[in-house]
Amino acid sequence: MKPFDYVRADSPRSAVAAGGARARFIAGGTNLIDLMKLEVEAPERLVDISRLDLGGIGPAEGGGLRIGALASNADVAAAHAVRRDYPALARALLSGASGQIRNKATTGGNLLQRTRCPYFTDTSQPCNKRRPGKGCAAIGGHTRNHAILGATSHCIATHPSDMAVALRALDASVEIEGADGSRRRMTVGELYRLPGDAPDRDTTLEAGELITAVILPPPPAGAAQSYRKVRDRASYAFALVSLACVAKMEDGRIDQVALAFGGIAPVPWRDGAAEEALRGENPGPEVFEHAADILLADAERQGDNAFKIPLVRRLLKAELARATGTGDQR
Amino acid sequence: MNTPNTYIGGHVERVEDARFLRGAGRYIDDVTREGMLHACVVRSAVAHGRLVSIDAEEALAMPGVHAVLTAADVTGEIPTIPFRRPNPKIGPYAQPVIARERVRYFGEPVALVLADSPELAEDAAELVLPEIEPLPAVVTRDAALAAEPLLFPGTTEDNLAAVFTAGKGDAEAAFAGAALVVGDSFSTQRQTALPLETRGLLAEWDADAQHLTVHGAAKLPFFNRRAMAKMMDLPETSVDYVEHDVGGGFGARGEFYPEDFLVALAARITGRPVKWVEDRREHFAAIAHSREAEAQVELALDASGRILGLRGEMFMNVGAYVRPNGMTPVRNCAQFMSGPYRVPNIALQATAYVANKTPAGTFRGPGRYEGSFFIERLLDMAAARLGLDRRTIRQVNLLTNAEMPYPLAQIRPSDGSRAETSCDSGEYSEAFHRCLQAFDWEEKEKLDGRLIDGRYHGIAVSCFIEGGASGPAETARIQVAGDGGVEVYVGSSAIGQGLETVMAQIAADTLGLPMECIRIYHGSTTYLAEGWGSYGSRATVMGGNAVREAALALLARFRALAARRLGVGEAEVSVVGGQAVGPDGAVLDLADLAAEGLAGEAKFLNSDATYTNGTAAVHVAVDPETGRVEVLDYVVCDEVGRIVNALTLHGQVTGAAVQGFGSVFGEELPYDDDGALLVGTLADYLVPLATDYPRVRCLSLESYPSPTNPLGAKGAGEGGIIPVGGAVANAVASALRAFGVAPNHLPLSPARVWALLNPPD
Ligand SMILES: Cc1cc2nc3c(=O)[nH]c(=O)nc-3n(C[C@H](O)[C@H](O)[C@H](O)COP(=O)(O)OP(=O)(O)OC[C@H]3O[C@@H](n4cnc5c(N)ncnc54)[C@H](O)[C@@H]3O)c2cc1C
Ligand code: SF4
Repeated sequence: MKPFDYVRADSPRSAVAAGGARARFIAGGTNLIDLMKLEVEAPERLVDISRLDLGGIGPAEGGGLRIGALASNADVAAAHAVRRDYPALARALLSGASGQIRNKATTGGNLLQRTRCPYFTDTSQPCNKRRPGKGCAAIGGHTRNHAILGATSHCIATHPSDMAVALRALDASVEIEGADGSRRRMTVGELYRLPGDAPDRDTTLEAGELITAVILPPPPAGAAQSYRKVRDRASYAFALVSLACVAKMEDGRIDQVALAFGGIAPVPWRDGAAEEALRGENPGPEVFEHAADILLADAERQGDNAFKIPLVRRLLKAELARATGTGDQR
Repeated sequence: MNTPNTYIGGHVERVEDARFLRGAGRYIDDVTREGMLHACVVRSAVAHGRLVSIDAEEALAMPGVHAVLTAADVTGEIPTIPFRRPNPKIGPYAQPVIARERVRYFGEPVALVLADSPELAEDAAELVLPEIEPLPAVVTRDAALAAEPLLFPGTTEDNLAAVFTAGKGDAEAAFAGAALVVGDSFSTQRQTALPLETRGLLAEWDADAQHLTVHGAAKLPFFNRRAMAKMMDLPETSVDYVEHDVGGGFGARGEFYPEDFLVALAARITGRPVKWVEDRREHFAAIAHSREAEAQVELALDASGRILGLRGEMFMNVGAYVRPNGMTPVRNCAQFMSGPYRVPNIALQATAYVANKTPAGTFRGPGRYEGSFFIERLLDMAAARLGLDRRTIRQVNLLTNAEMPYPLAQIRPSDGSRAETSCDSGEYSEAFHRCLQAFDWEEKEKLDGRLIDGRYHGIAVSCFIEGGASGPAETARIQVAGDGGVEVYVGSSAIGQGLETVMAQIAADTLGLPMECIRIYHGSTTYLAEGWGSYGSRATVMGGNAVREAALALLARFRALAARRLGVGEAEVSVVGGQAVGPDGAVLDLADLAAEGLAGEAKFLNSDATYTNGTAAVHVAVDPETGRVEVLDYVVCDEVGRIVNALTLHGQVTGAAVQGFGSVFGEELPYDDDGALLVGTLADYLVPLATDYPRVRCLSLESYPSPTNPLGAKGAGEGGIIPVGGAVANAVASALRAFGVAPNHLPLSPARVWALLNPPD
């Protein structure tokens, strides 16, 4: 680990004032410390935000739920309002990490955790996300966990968060405090960016911006919510493919549907056209297949991960059949 | 066999658990010394290359960094690590304790940094810059066999460390006359034993006494002491290996590794105690790997399913060097593939090739797990072809007690006593029937191959033998302390298997004393002049019998001393419950005679293996959509000669079975084409967790005591893991019979099973 300065912030304001390109906020530390030990992250300064008063979970102005950036993954998953109104979020959180880690991990930290690409954490390997311009060791390497959508020749890593996938399906947004104290809000969809030719930047946040909260809109009334995660082991494993599904039926037709996928792209993945193809339709295998065709039209295998393409298709069909009550209720 | 009111045979709770559960265990990282330095190993990030130079200037300039040792600090030839079972062919492949001109695997030590704290040492290690000119890496079998390039050019002509044959009878004739020949290719994946506690060492050099003490011993301290003394050019008595609590061994921990020498060298050079504790990422690249095996094998049978012969070839990737026990899995796989079955004719060849990967060694059930997987698959394939029940084909081939001792195949070149070995005792169908009865085969068979709730159910049965009691000897000494407490010193090592409990049971029963009087000291070379340790399922048999004999010697001495004290003849003294009673009723306690040197010593000699036999049955459900296999029930029954402690035995068997599920479903050490290891954390290496822990049931029998030792015990720490691969793969095949899949390659990860169901077109 490289030496660093340590500053403990006593307000969001002082946190952003101390932050910057060479600094990192530390919340639960469950991802950052690991990366610092490996020297994948080597901030000159750690700004400890863990004691800020940003842990609350309560009603948002104008309806919905506001989750403070420091609310722990365990607390969010256990919150009554979350379990009642946003079960997909509770399930996504509980499918991740382990009990001990969820006690430490925070909402903001979870959103900003880094990829689990094995080359990203191996400093003896070239990696554009870690060191822009050095090349990507994953391409042509071991790519079982890599993306089938949204990848570029610069980076094919996936985003590992389960929580972000559920938030994306639930149309959540994040509340941000800028370095100059200004506040802004953007959707989770806008938060993440595709790698393009600058894979070192996972998000559209500016250096030193602090996430202060996640805002969930009022729960979609009458919609079924689910989160299903396919992985190599029943706990303590990241998603190979996951799906957060929110769907509402009206007179036997699909009225509303949101499908967000994890494990397949550099960002929690939603495809508006695929969802559009489902809306207003009578649910059934052909309709689901059609949506899957649209979703996967540009899917590209990377060496070892060809299995993800049919897996996504089957997961989509299984979850939609369940959500619409038209098939296997397992 | 159980006599009432003995500890042996009872469900005796582990005495060491009180210490472990209260957090009072003392592991190597808990041991500290005043003024000690901390070491961090600089490892090659290149799998194969020429080591041109090492620039340590920047690291040495860091405050708190004391030294950076490289091959240049070793005077004379770089020592190589000795083999446990030497054979002429493997000589050139021994591992040097540090790389000098060439690196041959990702993770090979090239330098050692010594600093005031482990953190500083690690930071400084990052600044040590080895310049390595990369050479093409040999990763696959094809590249290794093509000798492109050679790993040891100038010294060897190929990349083959050894070729063993296992032979018996006339295999060619047997195949010529067979009603059926089944064959296929099979493979098991590279993995590692993964003890919970990583390795660690603390070395102290006493310059005045010219004495070296190495803390952190495990498994075989006496062998390692001998190796170290030779490398350090010291008399054996000038080196001690000290054992503390050990968090698991499983065959991998405790062998002599490069770090043993480097840490000791550092202590000797600096004159200060030096400590090194491996981190998990380092562990994956440094500790021995195992199980990377491929086989192309055939079985010949008659029409009734009797095995006539076994033949074929096996290839094992043993990594860049041959480690002390690197050949054990190779020769075992060939010798024990015939398992518990009557196989009159055998011609197997096992080739060990080197490649630019971490050197291999043993892992619980070395070679036996692989071989069992191969033959159990072949038996199910043969049963299907002959239209036989899968139970029948096993029953007709299981060995009977009337055939004992039953010789197994001979290994050539010979590598010691076990090149010729025989099964010792047992009616192998007994454990088979008990297992199937407990499993309820008839009921479960109704589900076999059926689709229920979206999952295909399958069952299977596999039989195994487990060799135990590695020779040649074990030692023990028992002495009575002034307070009457009985101190038992034994050469066996405790690696988490409950040694202290089992030895105390045996000592207490033999001496007729309560277990509470017994104190067990084990594993350190300071306790006994010679000893062996714990490997190859030997501690209970070898250490246990040594303790028993030492206790008998102590009792004889007690009787002699008591007779003298009482002024009567020895025959007139009766010894019961730790007391000697004279003819007139005068009583002497052990403590009364302690001052007169009340002690007993023994060296238990035995080179004959014991063979536990057993059967496992498994019920799985396979999800065809995801390829995930869930184990619903697993029953294993073994016949162990003598059950010393049913609790520790079942702990071993259950633990081994669960470890086997890790082998079958998830654990894998993948390398990329350049020889870089792609696993560094427990998030990538899929060990079974509580959520993957199925129902495992164990039954044990003690109907056929081993004739090789007075206790009648057979080694039994590995049996749980040996049959898992074959059992699970056969159950998956049975579940998916409608699809005609052949799960011949492990691991059966969801992706692999799914690919079997959805073959690429
Ligand atoms: C063994 C293990 C298994 C795991 N398994 C899973 C899994 O299955 N699924 C899953 O989704 N996750 C998993 N995780 C990841 C885990 O969810 C994250 O480590 C955790 O959520 C990060 O939260 P933290 O508060 O500890 O973040 P930290 O480590 O403190 O921070 C992470 C990053 O976020 C930044 N940051 C933190 N808070 C803020 C803020 N408020 N504003 C701006 N920047 C901020 C930090 O600067 C840092 O760059 C696993 C982690 C481990 C260690
Ligand atoms: S995929 Fe991305 S994170 Fe992985 S090595 Fe390539 S650039 Fe780095």
